[in-house]
Amino acid sequence: MCIRCEISRRSLLMGGGAAAASLATGVAQARILPKNMVPLIGPGFRPTETDEIGLWGLMDRVEEEVSGSNLLIKDASIVAYLQHIIGRVGGPAARDMRIYLAHVPDFNAMMFPSGFAVVFSGLLLRMRNEAQLAGVIAHESGHFLRRHLIRSWRDMKRKSDIFAIGAMAAGIGGGAAGIYMGDYVQLAQLATILSLFQYSRAMEAEADAMGARLIAEAGYAPMEMATVWEQLIGEMNASARYRRKYRERGSLFDTHPSPESRMADLRISANEVTVPGKVYDAGHERYLKTIAPIRQMLLEDQVKLNDPGGSQYLLNTLALDGWDGTLRYYEGEVWRLRNRVGDEDRAAQSYAVAVAYPDAPPEAWRSHGLELIKQGRSGEGKAALGRYLKMKPTAPDAPFIRQMIS
Amino acid sequence: MRKYKLALAAAVLPLTACSTVGEGSDLGVYSLVRVKPTKVGNGSIVVDPPRPWNRQRRFFFFDSVRWVEDWTLNGPYLDAITFVSGLPSGEYLVRQRKTDERQVPKFRGNMTAPEITALLESAYRVRGGAVEFHTLNLAPRQFLGYPGFQFDYEHLDGDELWRKGRAVGAIIDGRLYLMMYDAARSHYYANALPDFEMMANNARLNG
Repeated sequence: MCIRCEISRRSLLMGGGAAAASLATGVAQARILPKNMVPLIGPGFRPTETDEIGLWGLMDRVEEEVSGSNLLIKDASIVAYLQHIIGRVGGPAARDMRIYLAHVPDFNAMMFPSGFAVVFSGLLLRMRNEAQLAGVIAHESGHFLRRHLIRSWRDMKRKSDIFAIGAMAAGIGGGAAGIYMGDYVQLAQLATILSLFQYSRAMEAEADAMGARLIAEAGYAPMEMATVWEQLIGEMNASARYRRKYRERGSLFDTHPSPESRMADLRISANEVTVPGKVYDAGHERYLKTIAPIRQMLLEDQVKLNDPGGSQYLLNTLALDGWDGTLRYYEGEVWRLRNRVGDEDRAAQSYAVAVAYPDAPPEAWRSHGLELIKQGRSGEGKAALGRYLKMKPTAPDAPFIRQMIS
Repeated sequence: MRKYKLALAAAVLPLTACSTVGEGSDLGVYSLVRVKPTKVGNGSIVVDPPRPWNRQRRFFFFDSVRWVEDWTLNGPYLDAITFVSGLPSGEYLVRQRKTDERQVPKFRGNMTAPEITALLESAYRVRGGAVEFHTLNLAPRQFLGYPGFQFDYEHLDGDELWRKGRAVGAIIDGRLYLMMYDAARSHYYANALPDFEMMANNARLNG
């Protein structure tokens, strides 16, 4: 349901959440085969049983809150693009699912039980091509098509204690009643609550297998799904290592498959559904062109959080498809914000490289100019600042920069 | 019995400790700022508030940066003025753990105004949960009698509220002197902006 719930659920377990006992059902699972993954619902599905009707009622209220939130990115072409992708990889429910793009600089996406998905803008930044984005959306669609939420809800009610369920229902009710639903922290909490519905490792594996099958059928390279996981694991490790922490793994409470083993399974599944000799389209160009209007904003959102380990890893990953002026500029920004001994020189080098690209953003010229002035190369620095003002004469900081040049 | 007493003492102590320090029944979080020349931060800046404000107490271990002081009129969710009174190079605006993944950047004495504004923007994103941040204006302005800058901005926070702010600052002998006003964009910003402007203009170095 939610691609990072594994992580949040683990932290919840570490904190001794009330529902911990009901989750301790870890048994080694065999890999789920994509060919066995048939959708359990058809087009236009509506619930018929009382408990599911009730759950959908709650979720309709959650959706109303989400759709009215001013944290949503409303860019019509990008929203239409997401809807188009869910239409391609949504299987029989393709026309029934709704998708919302929330302006939150984290790597997450989640599917709600009534068939609407929320994608965080940080996810768009991290995808290298359309196939990767389609992979994540297909995974989420898989949860809906396999009816995971209602299945786990019933399973949970059958075997766990009533208090845990009461607390969960209260949490969902709280979310649905609109108490701060717009707050993305709350949204993340809702994701955690939803994760308590218990997406067992079997269900995550099902969604992975179903997703691989859906994107293969839509003509995307299935292997890209495993690559997304690889990127996520790499970024988490890089960020943790940077702060001299280690990602928790293999604890007593860890009933989930490690992301590594999940990725390995996904690789095998991807191979299975890949038709030899068939040419798959990753949609790299199309993807970059579509998100181009917001790409700099997405980079800004990430880099200004000053998480140097994570941001550096991310930039290097995106640069696997080629460096450009924008990526080099943000590389400089990562160094500059990190601000350790020697970082200013590193930043200055990145800016200098950035402005050598024809697509360097105006801000790269500004930073380059400021660094040159600090190095005592006043003439060159002022020329670079002049270039910035020429490119962006109405920049909000133009009055200050103009004073620096004069 | 002894154990019971200890537990009771532990439960009561924090409450009494707070309520004797503060004025009124606000548990000591705020103290009154009167309309008279007032030292802020570590005492190196003096301002004349045009009406009474509330000084937020600094909490040990939570936010005890001694160069930084916060005031509010209607509560920190609605409006706040932050004074930074000579933050030395290499220091941070807030206390934070070295292991925090997202960090407010370190101040350096050789920073230019655009770099200071980027530092403030990161502070809002990292600590304030801002998901959108727009620079509205950055222009030269005198502060404390030194050449400095005025920075106007607005940001959308995780609680779905747009806030607007103005920072007026200068770097003097490698130290950061700053007054920063931040308030809900509708109504509250305009409401206390004249107070901020008056204090930004009458602020002076102490001694």
